Amino acid sequence: MITEKTPLPSIQPVKFLLNWGRRYSLWVMNFGLACCAIVLIATSTSKHDFIRIGVIPFAHGPRQADLLVVAGTLTDKMPPALKRVYDQIPDPKYVISFGSCSNCGGPYWDSYSVTKGVDQIVPIDVYVPGCPPRPEALLHGIVKLQEKIKDEDIQEKFSGKLTVPVSS
Amino acid sequence: MASSRSLSPPDVESRLRAQFGDDITGFADQVGHAVATVTPGVYRDVCRFLRDEPDFSCDYCDFTSGVDWGPDRGFEVVTHLYSTTHHHNVRVKIALPHDEPVAPSIADLFPTSDWHERETAEMFGIRFEGHPQLVKLLLSEPFEGNPLRKDFALMTREAKPWPGAVEGEEEEEE
Repeated sequence: MITEKTPLPSIQPVKFLLNWGRRYSLWVMNFGLACCAIVLIATSTSKHDFIRIGVIPFAHGPRQADLLVVAGTLTDKMPPALKRVYDQIPDPKYVISFGSCSNCGGPYWDSYSVTKGVDQIVPIDVYVPGCPPRPEALLHGIVKLQEKIKDEDIQEKFSGKLTVPVSS
Repeated sequence: MASSRSLSPPDVESRLRAQFGDDITGFADQVGHAVATVTPGVYRDVCRFLRDEPDFSCDYCDFTSGVDWGPDRGFEVVTHLYSTTHHHNVRVKIALPHDEPVAPSIADLFPTSDWHERETAEMFGIRFEGHPQLVKLLLSEPFEGNPLRKDFALMTREAKPWPGAVEGEEEEEE
């Protein structure tokens, strides 16, 4: 039942149009930390070319970005910088954890200096496994993220409930 | 005029033994590099000699690092010197006890060694006497322990032992 008090994004055609526009114009922030960054950059170049599915490489700074791709090994000295970049991205924002290192520590699972899982620092929308994953895996991850955005309630997204890291 | 003559490891050995005598406790030829084990007392003198003696002219310190050989053999500090004029390599090693390892610093002789000694100090817990600022280089400030020591406990491995093959064990099974 739509009344005059119904929020605009909740009206089905508006929601569809809004989410359709948002999911095909993801300006991506490159947070490359290790070898996975090479795959991320390769995905942006002509062969795999993720701009054809609506991901725009690369934002000049976090304040312009919609999507953060954490690609690589996050060492224990790096989380403050990642948190800062994440906080600078305006809502609504999405994070893809790309590669085993950022998912869970990967081959550095027993290291003294590697953060085991970027999800301890920032909330993750899509995890892409692999060491490093193929560019196709990143494209698949982006498609999965777009499916998520498609059904998203933008009011819930803005409520702040979703931006709390899992561990806190 | 700098000569382009590089010294072979036996030449290096004879010259070092002539200069320092019994303080050269061991010598080896590893892949064409002279490797001299010296007593900690003459470590600085050997490095200065290798740098200033025209026949050596080892003007470039490639690295300074450490080796943990366990409680019985203690630690080793390895310094690799190279001559950019003669193109020969000399490694200088000193043996240190496992309890309270203290090595002389050569940061004043080779500025390269400054950061390398800081890294060796934080990773192995070896104190470099005479270093201008022996603070942590790579590790974060609150980090405790010396992670490259063999007895350093990795918390993740305490919770879950190494799941793969251990070196040496799989050969016994065969």
